[in-house]
Amino acid sequence: MAMNMNLYSRGDKIFAIATSILIGLFTAATLYPFIYIAAVSFSGGFAAAAGKVVITPIDTTLAAYKYVLTQSKFWISYGNTFIYTIGGTIVSLLIIIPGAYALSRPQLIGRRFWNLFVAFTLWFNAGLIPFFLNMRDLGLLDSYIGIIIGFAVNAFNLILLRNFFESLPQSFEEAARMDGANDFQILWKVYVPLSKPAIATITLFCIVSRWNGFFWAMVLLQSEEKIPLQVFLRHTIATLSDDHEFTATLTTQPFGVETVTAAIIVCSIIPVLIVYPFVQKYFEKGILLGGVKE
Amino acid sequence: MSGVKLDNIVKAYGEIEVVHGINLEVQEKEFVVLVGPSGCGKSTTLRMIAGLEEITDGELKIDDRLVNRVAPKDRDVAMVFQNYALYPHLNVAENIAFGLRIRKESKEAIEKSVSEVGEILGLTPYLQRRPADLSGGQRQRVAMGRAIVRRPKVFLFDEPLSNLDAKLRTQMRAEIKRLHKRLGATSVYVTHDQVEAMTLADRIVVMNAGVIEQIGTPMEVFMNPVNTFVAGFIGSPPMNQVKAVIQKRQGSSELHAKIGDDLVKLPETLPIEDGQEVILGIRPEHLSLNPDASSTSIPISLDLVETLGSEALLHATLNETPIIAKTETQGDIDHLWEVTEVHAPVSLIKLFDAQTGLAIREKSGS
Repeated sequence: MAMNMNLYSRGDKIFAIATSILIGLFTAATLYPFIYIAAVSFSGGFAAAAGKVVITPIDTTLAAYKYVLTQSKFWISYGNTFIYTIGGTIVSLLIIIPGAYALSRPQLIGRRFWNLFVAFTLWFNAGLIPFFLNMRDLGLLDSYIGIIIGFAVNAFNLILLRNFFESLPQSFEEAARMDGANDFQILWKVYVPLSKPAIATITLFCIVSRWNGFFWAMVLLQSEEKIPLQVFLRHTIATLSDDHEFTATLTTQPFGVETVTAAIIVCSIIPVLIVYPFVQKYFEKGILLGGVKE
Repeated sequence: MSGVKLDNIVKAYGEIEVVHGINLEVQEKEFVVLVGPSGCGKSTTLRMIAGLEEITDGELKIDDRLVNRVAPKDRDVAMVFQNYALYPHLNVAENIAFGLRIRKESKEAIEKSVSEVGEILGLTPYLQRRPADLSGGQRQRVAMGRAIVRRPKVFLFDEPLSNLDAKLRTQMRAEIKRLHKRLGATSVYVTHDQVEAMTLADRIVVMNAGVIEQIGTPMEVFMNPVNTFVAGFIGSPPMNQVKAVIQKRQGSSELHAKIGDDLVKLPETLPIEDGQEVILGIRPEHLSLNPDASSTSIPISLDLVETLGSEALLHATLNETPIIAKTETQGDIDHLWEVTEVHAPVSLIKLFDAQTGLAIREKSGS
């Protein structure tokens, strides 16, 4: 008699194996571009241009990094990216956290309307040209402030945090209210500490979208000294490919367009890679345990 | 006087009225328990006193001050929540100190109060722990600590023991009683557990469907329920209720209740008519196996004996109505199976009007 010793049916086993294979493929597909870019950035210009790099660097050299790191414009744009990311994230959180709290309160007058108002922007917006004109008329073109406050509120993040606030037991608010706390105190002393996982999540979303923000920065910023790294990267690709003088030097230089581009990309990925593990821990465990008895 | 006065308090959610004009006066230092089945409006009433629910109509006074439109924090009341609502990110000391910090009391004063409260509640060794690292009983104590540290005029308890297991509940019940004796604070306590109500209360308020059915001391409510609802709610097991018809003989002062073919003797002073339909009520504890001069016998047909150790519950029927008798076992229950009749002291038999369910009380002065 056939006996299934490990409690899983044949179907379950096949499912588990198929899932593992799929996840493996996805992981490889996501990871490979990183490895490839890193490998290219350390490779010689000829090898990269000839498409010889697959996983490991060919003709290993730091020439591309030397070229990138000695460009003052690289450092300026890098600094700008930090300004947009840190400033933008702080402004976003300062608006999203109180906003989400207000939207989560049953006593908010016109709550349904406001919630709909926010959710509406998830599906509909004015479009590119009207938005550009709006920013222009507000005098927010080519300015740090424009980039920072122009994209401060993201409806998705707002709704995500609102939902989290709504899921917290009402008795926390009531207990704090009985203790004499007003709404601001309830928010900052009770709800924010209880919502660390959710706030960490939206912080990371904000950081990543700010860090990678490219399109609007390209559209709204003209001055070279204000552009972020992503726009600088694009400029570099454009100028290097068009620059005949530079192309002519390629025969004598150990780097090329591809390796310089890859080096900039690697430089731009590093900070996010550094931040992520710190935020990661909040995703893993909730801190609600023990406060209320379910 | 730190009393609480509810004057015709009404609560409605839109069209639906859930509390229908209740009147209650809680005296200073009194421990009043609101008890009733779920949905009877007891928690809503408590939350109106706390200021967590708006009062639709009527007047609420705390300490002779009208507080209908006063914010919870300005009412000088503290509440212990059913789910404790301890802040998980703060340790025990910080949880207890939260209200004082919000009120910007000095650091020394806060430290002193917290250590005092820790002492009173036996929480001193746990002050640095987070709620997650405490047992259910300890969390409950922290929740009480958070309330008493502010020395409010009125304590409100919203089913504080319902999340504890039976043993712990008994223990905490005694602790709450002791604490009340020690602090002497005016308290309003909500529970659906009539045992808690009986043991804790100076006065019990029995609520049902948004109205107060009866207010009285535990013994009053137990011995003299005003209607069949209270009779059926208070007491464990509750009062037996059997339909009967009054039989009054011409020229005799004797009163009997006819249940099926059996006659049960009644107190002669009850204002009832011959042929009147009534509900006869008798507590299981008052039914005894041994007759005496002042008792009347009631024939029963026994169908189950439930042993509780020192006591046994006899489940039986009387004219097809289930009734329960509670009796002491003295270590032996076999003989209980032979019981065919129980005896009720005539004076302890209660009558209720069969239509209204209201108690038929003895004529005054007799």
